[in-house]
Amino acid sequence: MCSGRVDLEYVLRAFSNGMDGVFIGGCRLNECNYITHGNYDALNMVLLCKRIMRHIGLDPERLKIAFMSSADGNLFAETMSAFGSTLKKLGPLGKAEGLDDEELKTRLAEITKLVPYIKLTKFEKLAARLENPEEYDQHFTQDEIERLFDEVVSFYIDPEKCQACLICARRCPVGAISGAKNQIHIIDQEICIKCGTCLEVCPEKFSAVVEISGESAPPPIPEEQRTIVR
Amino acid sequence: MTLVRKPRYILEDQCTGCTTCVEYCPVVYPDPFNQEISTNKAIHIYFAQAVPLITYIDESCLYLKEKKCGICEDVCENDAIDFNQTAEEVEVKVGAILLAPGFEPFDPKAGNHYGYGEMQNVVTSLDYERLMCATGPYEGEIRRASDKKHPQKIAWIQCVGSRQVNPPGGNSYCSAVCCTYTQKQVILTKDHNPDAECTVFHNDIRSHGKDFERFYQRAEELPGIRFIRSYVSIGKEIPESKNVTIRYATPDEGVKEEEFEMVVLSIGLNPPADAVRLAEELGIELNPHGFCEVNPKNPMETTKPGIFVSGAFQGPIDIPESVFSASGACSQCGELLDYRRGKLSRERIYPPERDVSGEEPRIGIFVCHCGANIGRIVDVPSVVEYAKTLPHVVYAQEQLFSCATNCAKEITDMTKEMGLNRVIIAACSPRTLGPLFQDTVREAGLNQYYLEMTNIREHCSWVHTMEKEDATEKARDLIRMSVARAAHLEPLQEIDLSVNPAALVVGAGVAGMTCALSIANQGHEVHLVERDHDLGGKARSIYQTLEGLDVQAYLRDLVHKVYQNPLIHVYTDATITDADGYVGNFATRVVSERGTTEIRHGATVLAVGADVYEPSEYLYGEDDRVMTLLQLEEQINRGSEKVTDAQGLVMIQCVGCRNEERNYCSRICCSESVKNALALKKINPEMDIYILYRDMRTYGFDEDYYREAADNGVKFIRYEPQDEPVVEAGESEEGRPVLKITTPDYILGKKVEIDADIVALAAALIPSAGSREVSQLFRVPLNPDGFFQEAHVKLRPVEFATDGVYLCGLAHYPKLLRETIEQAYGAASRVLTLLSHDAITASGSICEVDENVCIGCGQCVSTCAYGAVELHKTRQGKKAIVNPVLCKGDGLCTTKCPTRAIQLKHFTDDEIWAQIDAAVETAQIPSKI
Amino acid sequence: MESEPKGTQDQVHRSLADSIREGFEGNTFGDVMVVGGGISGVQASLDLAASGFKVYLVDKAPAIGGHMAQLDKTFPTNDCSI
Repeated sequence: MCSGRVDLEYVLRAFSNGMDGVFIGGCRLNECNYITHGNYDALNMVLLCKRIMRHIGLDPERLKIAFMSSADGNLFAETMSAFGSTLKKLGPLGKAEGLDDEELKTRLAEITKLVPYIKLTKFEKLAARLENPEEYDQHFTQDEIERLFDEVVSFYIDPEKCQACLICARRCPVGAISGAKNQIHIIDQEICIKCGTCLEVCPEKFSAVVEISGESAPPPIPEEQRTIVR
Repeated sequence: MTLVRKPRYILEDQCTGCTTCVEYCPVVYPDPFNQEISTNKAIHIYFAQAVPLITYIDESCLYLKEKKCGICEDVCENDAIDFNQTAEEVEVKVGAILLAPGFEPFDPKAGNHYGYGEMQNVVTSLDYERLMCATGPYEGEIRRASDKKHPQKIAWIQCVGSRQVNPPGGNSYCSAVCCTYTQKQVILTKDHNPDAECTVFHNDIRSHGKDFERFYQRAEELPGIRFIRSYVSIGKEIPESKNVTIRYATPDEGVKEEEFEMVVLSIGLNPPADAVRLAEELGIELNPHGFCEVNPKNPMETTKPGIFVSGAFQGPIDIPESVFSASGACSQCGELLDYRRGKLSRERIYPPERDVSGEEPRIGIFVCHCGANIGRIVDVPSVVEYAKTLPHVVYAQEQLFSCATNCAKEITDMTKEMGLNRVIIAACSPRTLGPLFQDTVREAGLNQYYLEMTNIREHCSWVHTMEKEDATEKARDLIRMSVARAAHLEPLQEIDLSVNPAALVVGAGVAGMTCALSIANQGHEVHLVERDHDLGGKARSIYQTLEGLDVQAYLRDLVHKVYQNPLIHVYTDATITDADGYVGNFATRVVSERGTTEIRHGATVLAVGADVYEPSEYLYGEDDRVMTLLQLEEQINRGSEKVTDAQGLVMIQCVGCRNEERNYCSRICCSESVKNALALKKINPEMDIYILYRDMRTYGFDEDYYREAADNGVKFIRYEPQDEPVVEAGESEEGRPVLKITTPDYILGKKVEIDADIVALAAALIPSAGSREVSQLFRVPLNPDGFFQEAHVKLRPVEFATDGVYLCGLAHYPKLLRETIEQAYGAASRVLTLLSHDAITASGSICEVDENVCIGCGQCVSTCAYGAVELHKTRQGKKAIVNPVLCKGDGLCTTKCPTRAIQLKHFTDDEIWAQIDAAVETAQIPSKI
Repeated sequence: MESEPKGTQDQVHRSLADSIREGFEGNTFGDVMVVGGGISGVQASLDLAASGFKVYLVDKAPAIGGHMAQLDKTFPTNDCSI
């Protein structure tokens, strides 16, 4: 397992559990023992996560990544001590930022729900290799992240067009689409991960799935109106 | 052979390396491993990462000297001290001997070089190496001896004990590694202290290795770094500051004297100290420099059959050459002893694996004291009591040393007795003993992936020595997290893959043929594929080596042997159209004069050679008196009078490389130029020969030929890249049509004009035209210069990161014929380590796709550096699939997958989430976010 | 090329191997002794063991590693030596 295995969701989970800080240690950059160089991926994830933290009102200083080898014991000790005092200075999670526990948890839960969407839209940047530390700051900009969340997409099945063919329901990776033969399909927005598979697989002649950006999807039609009468 | 095993005074199976004894030992003396800069005890571990990681007692021990003390015996909790041990003679019967005794660092004390041994702040480069090292005398802080201050202004003096004829005491050869290790030390010094001022006094800079040229530039471009080309002498030591002055000369400023806070002597490599005794004992010969005399056709052969040599005993060489010559010598041992292969090894048999899939987790925890290492800081008994309260834990106990044989047996026994189906060992880092404990668990009939290790030593007791209570608390937290993860562990199967015993060798130059022959001589079929109609590659245009080997005769013999070998199948005029498969099971389609062949093979060797740069400089191609070195060599050997009767001949080095476009050194040209100059001088001693160079890079013993050429009147004139020589057609003073070469002479301080009848260009070696295509076919990387990128530049120089694919010869980097031969044998040895097994085992911790959840977005495919994930079509659209053989288990794909369809087994989301959640003892843990 | 006559084995090499074998007169010498446990000796021992030979690795120091273990980092990647 490589430092690049550390998932964005792990970091959010740790903060959700009330951890005051998260530290990720990776091998020195460009010293990969394989050809993976996954520490760059870890770095990208951290840069992105820091922007997200700012977006939800958490201090990005609570997340730290450092690169060192197994022979860098002293460096590790120094890094951890310094990180420890940073966290002490910041104070307990949420309280220091003026967020109450509930509010913080809600915000983190919302972001966590969007992780699949973030991974899909930011894939290329998450897989980039930033050779020059000067690039770090601008790799993900705050504007970009704000925009990402402002323009979050939703998928909605137009009841007028849905022919209840079941294709999207079968292909949805998270089982968010309910429906049966002759029953107009409905996307459960709570479960949907916004991967767009339904849009992709809906037969062109129906084109029933709509992508909505920046606003939430219309409410589903009442259950009694879902039966298609042909 | 009779060996003497020196007494260690330690029972090896009993010592656990806890080092309690070291603390109590009263004898303090200078530590040779740290170049005697720091101290150590009479009983100690050789160095922190030593193998074996156990103590030994040396001659300074009071008990051994005077039968006093014996404290260590009292403090050792494992009764591992045994003062009754004596030197023991061991007789071994062996079929072959491989000598790898290395080198001895040059000792500047002996000849009183540069005040070493007298002035405190003059150190050798090896001393400095220890000073920089985190495990060194000042724990990675560079301090000088006189006042323990961090030196700001440091000078390096190159070629100490190397390239030296006068005064005697040094060595005439070049030690080949010092230029680059000095650059490394400079770079690391700047890492330690960005304000340090570093000055390197050097002769030629010899950056002839792969990626060395860029490394040199990296060092040179750092702020506060000066590289000064000058001979130097030590001025004086300043009594108050103990600073040292150095006298040197520059063309602009003349002789100067400058003060430095520390001076590092870049010492060379001497033959091993006991080389003479070793040679006498074994009946082998040494060369005039005191290194091993080797066969010029085969630098790993000594003068006695059955005795081989590798590493620096062959002569001063760098680590990659030491590694591939070692492998190469092994391949020759293998050829000799093939009939005995595999008959002396034993296979391990484990009890059948118990199926626990239907059971609730039953976790057992073993908490290790590691002598005092953990036990003195962490309150182990309380941790054990706490562990018993955790969910699913049915058993917990403490152990003195979990890794000791008796404790391992205890783990196995208790696992069986208590019906455990998960075992947690809370001890050290799994990096050290993970495999051992996996074994222990297997012995108990459990799948080895049911083992979980909690690191309460490196991550806990060792870093919190002053905070015992907090450390105990942390140990509890870590164990609780392990328990959470362990409950989710799944049994994994390691896959056995059959290995096709045949090899494919691409390229039939010297590298490819040598490699193919060595593999075939060990009983394996080899398919040798060559693009050209004839075998031989670049060696076909070389006639002699610098040492005088008749290359054409050698090549004829080699080609003959290849065709004679019934196990080698040669394909000429061949093109590879398709390459598929993975380690042990490759399938390659070759179109050749034999038609189309589908070759199945277990290993692949890429030896596609290199090409020669076609110069656009210096009138090449416009004037037929301008030629490349290879063309010159050809004309010399044809006896062309145009060349042999020339009155003046100029060779220009570094044509087409060491520039922006090709930022590397072609390594062999300086030696080749010297070779041709010597050959011409032999034929026509009157000829005026000039070699215009930037740095003469006749590394190793080739330095002797450089000196011989200079002694024979060959003139060497240095030029700088911004002031290159100019070649024009013109007339000599007598009206003879000549080529006029104008070049700066830094010693004379002006431009000189030379008349030449022939100009020979040392044209760069460039990657073979086909190497890019080959790299794509076999999915192996190229470096920025277009040469093949090996798995690790130092430690794995003949293999790719892709399992089962190897490389050798010029395709790796320019190198001399003898180096090519070594590397070819080296690749053969690595191939044999694969092909001599019927099957190989792939790890169980690899990625797996849940097709129901996969949306076919392909992010995993583009993330994987190994090409282990592919998309395939199903009725439900495209789905990712993992090739378990290619997957290395890094898990990058897992973090990119939007739907968590691809999971890294043994490190699944569920396992890691459980661990993250358990980090908080009282947190309200949502069952699923 | 197929038309060239093929001998049974590489004569020169085999005769060398044979002469050594004859010297042992049919006993079971198949082990290899490696003198020196530096990077070269260690690599050699690993290769030999992995390809099916028994190896005696001999070193004068109490631990293997040789000079490379003394080096802080290695060029040109500045990787850790150990």
